[in-house]
Amino acid sequence: MRPMDWTAKWTLRFVVMALLFLVLTTIEGEMMRVQLANPEALRSFEALMNALRPIENAPTTEELYYAMLSVHPVVGIYGFVYMAVMGAFYFLVPYLLQREVRHKSLVRVNFWLQTLGVFLCWAAGFFGMFNALYTLYWPLPVSFDRVPVVGAIVFTLGAAIVMVNILIFAFNIFGTVFGKTNGKGYTVGGFLRAAFGIPRLLKLLGREDKSAPNLDYNGLPPFIVAVARGSIDTVINATVLLSAGALILVYALAHVMGRSLNPAAIDALLYKNWYWWGLDMVADGNVLIYTAGVWYLMIPMLTGRRLYAESVVRTVIMVDLLVSMGVWSHHLLGDQVQPLSMRLISGQFITWGEIFTMGLTIFASMMTIWKARPVKISIPLLFILGSIFGFIMGAAAGIIQANVGLNVVLHNTQWVIMTHAHTLLLMGLSTLLFGVIYALLPLLTGKPVFSQKLALWHFWLWMGGAFTMTYVMGMAGTHGMLRRTLYPHPNLYQVYLNGAMIGGIVLAIGFIIFLVNLVATLKWDTLRRLIHDPEPALSAD
Amino acid sequence: MEREERIWLGILAVVFLIVNAITLSPLVPWQSWQLWSRPEPQTSFRVNFRDYQIILPPGGIQVKAGQFVEFVATSEDVTYGLGVFRKDGKMLFQMQVVPGHENRIIWRFDEPGFYDVRSTEYSGPRHPSMVVTDAIHVIP
Repeated sequence: MRPMDWTAKWTLRFVVMALLFLVLTTIEGEMMRVQLANPEALRSFEALMNALRPIENAPTTEELYYAMLSVHPVVGIYGFVYMAVMGAFYFLVPYLLQREVRHKSLVRVNFWLQTLGVFLCWAAGFFGMFNALYTLYWPLPVSFDRVPVVGAIVFTLGAAIVMVNILIFAFNIFGTVFGKTNGKGYTVGGFLRAAFGIPRLLKLLGREDKSAPNLDYNGLPPFIVAVARGSIDTVINATVLLSAGALILVYALAHVMGRSLNPAAIDALLYKNWYWWGLDMVADGNVLIYTAGVWYLMIPMLTGRRLYAESVVRTVIMVDLLVSMGVWSHHLLGDQVQPLSMRLISGQFITWGEIFTMGLTIFASMMTIWKARPVKISIPLLFILGSIFGFIMGAAAGIIQANVGLNVVLHNTQWVIMTHAHTLLLMGLSTLLFGVIYALLPLLTGKPVFSQKLALWHFWLWMGGAFTMTYVMGMAGTHGMLRRTLYPHPNLYQVYLNGAMIGGIVLAIGFIIFLVNLVATLKWDTLRRLIHDPEPALSAD
Repeated sequence: MEREERIWLGILAVVFLIVNAITLSPLVPWQSWQLWSRPEPQTSFRVNFRDYQIILPPGGIQVKAGQFVEFVATSEDVTYGLGVFRKDGKMLFQMQVVPGHENRIIWRFDEPGFYDVRSTEYSGPRHPSMVVTDAIHVIP
C-alpha cells in the first residue's frame, strides 16, 4: 500500500468526520420523521435516552423533538457539509494551483475546532434541551422560561467556535489562492477588508490601496474564482451569526448572574432582518457558488472538455455576490410589518435573480456535457447530474414560494422545508458531495472504488428516497401542514407522513450501502492509519 | 456571449416576466386587495398572543362572507404566527406575529363555515398546542 501524503490524510480525516456527522444527522432526521408520523412511537427509546441526561424531570416528547430539531441542521450543515467542503477544498485548491496550503497548521486547527463546535451544539440539544431552533427568532433564545439557559450558553459557545473556525478556514483559503499574487502574504485585517470589498470601493473612489490583495482573479480556474468568491459570503455569514450569538450570550450570562436584561430592548424585526441577511449568505450565497464551482471543476475533468462559456461563468460568479447580498427578505414575506417594498424588491425580484445566475450556471454545466458527447457516465458524473437535477427541483420550489402572493399560503409549511430546502440539501448538495468523494477517493488512496454496483444502488436509493420524502411532504404542505409542528396521531396529513417515512427509510438504506462501499474501499487499515499514524513534521508557515 | 447563451438568457427572462406578472396580478385572488385595490376593512378584530395563548376578542370572531375584515395581531412575549385554516386542514392565510409591532392583514372570506386558528410559528416546546378550533364563524 502506498503511503498517503499529508494533504490526502487530512482530507480523508475531514471526509470521515463529515460522514460521521451525516450518520448522526440522518439518525436524527429519521427519528423526527417517526415522531411526526406518530409522536408516541418513540416513548420507550426516549425513556432510555433520558437515563443519560443529567436532568431531574424527564423532558416531554415535544421538548425532545424541538431539541433535536434545533441541532439537526447544525450537525447537517456545519458538521457534514462544511467539514466535507473544508476537506475537499484543502485538497483541490492546492492541487489545482500547484502550491501548498498557505498555513498548514490551520488545517489541523480547522478540523478540531469544527468537530468541537458542532459537538457542543449537538450536546446543547441532547443534554441541555436547547430548543430555540436555528432561526433563533428574537426574543425566543433569551426567553429562559421556554429555552433552558445552560443549553443556550453551550449552544452559542459551540456556534461561536464554528463561526470563528469558518473565518479561519476562509482566511487560509484566501491566503492559499492569493498568497503569491502580490508577492507577499497579508494580515487577517487585510483579508477581512478584501472580503468585504473595501479595497474595490476605495479604488472606485480614487483612493486605491496598493497593499491590498489582488482580487481580479485573472488567469485563475473558475473553480478557484468560485471558492474565493464564496468565501466572501462565508465571512459575512460567520460575522453576522457571531454577533447574534454574542447578543444571546450576554443575555444568558446576565440571567445566570441574576441580572436579567430586557429582551424588548432589541427590536425583533430589525434583529430578524440582520440575522437573515447573514444566515442567508449560506443558503443563497456560498452553497450555490461553491456548488457551481465544483460543477465547473468536476464536469470538465470528468468529460475531458473545457468548460463551456467560461467568460460568462466568471461574470455570473461575481454577479451572484450582489444577488446573494440582496435576497434575505424572502424569509420575511410572512411578516406584514416588513415594508412591502422590501418584500417585493428583496424578497421577490432579487431572489428571482437567482434564476439567471443559477440558470446560466446549470446551462454552462449541461452544455459542457452536451458538447463533450459521447460521454461515459461514470459514477462521479452520475452523482453530479443527480445534483444538478436536485438543484433544479429545489430551486424551482424555492422561487415559487419567494413570491409575495404565494407565500401567504406556503410560508412555514412543509413545502418550504421539504420540497425546497431538503430537496436542495439531499438531492442537490449531498449528492454533489458524494460525487466529489467518489471522484477523490482514487486520487487520495490510489485505489478504485470497491464496487461500482453498490455505488449505483447508493445513487438510486438515495435519490428515490429523497425525492419521495420531499415531494410527498411538499404535498402535505400545500394541504396546510406546517413545519415545526407535531400533530396528534392520527391527523389530517397522516397519509403523507406515512409515505414520507417510506421515502426516509429508502434513503437511509442507500446511505448505509454507501458507507459499506466506502469502508470496503478504504479498508480498516487505512482508517486505522488516519488515527494512529505519526504526523510528518510541518514545513514552516 | 454565444448564440445558445443568448437564447437561454432570453428564455429565463421570459419565465421571470411571465411568472412575476401572473403572481402579482389579481389572478392570485388575494393580490387584488393586498396589492392593488387596498380596500378599507368593514370590520377589525384584535388577536393577542401571550404565554402560548391565542386570545380572541371577547365576542368571538363572526364575519360576513364577501366582506373585507382586518386582523390586528400582537404578541406580548415572543414571535408567533396567525394562521387561519379550513376544516380540511388547508391553510387560508397566515402572517407572522412579531412582538413590539402591530401585525395587520386584510382578508375576504368567500365561503361560509367555521375556521380554525393556529399559531404558524414556533414559539417554544408548547407550540403544537396553540390551536383554537372553530375560532372564526363566516356567515352567508
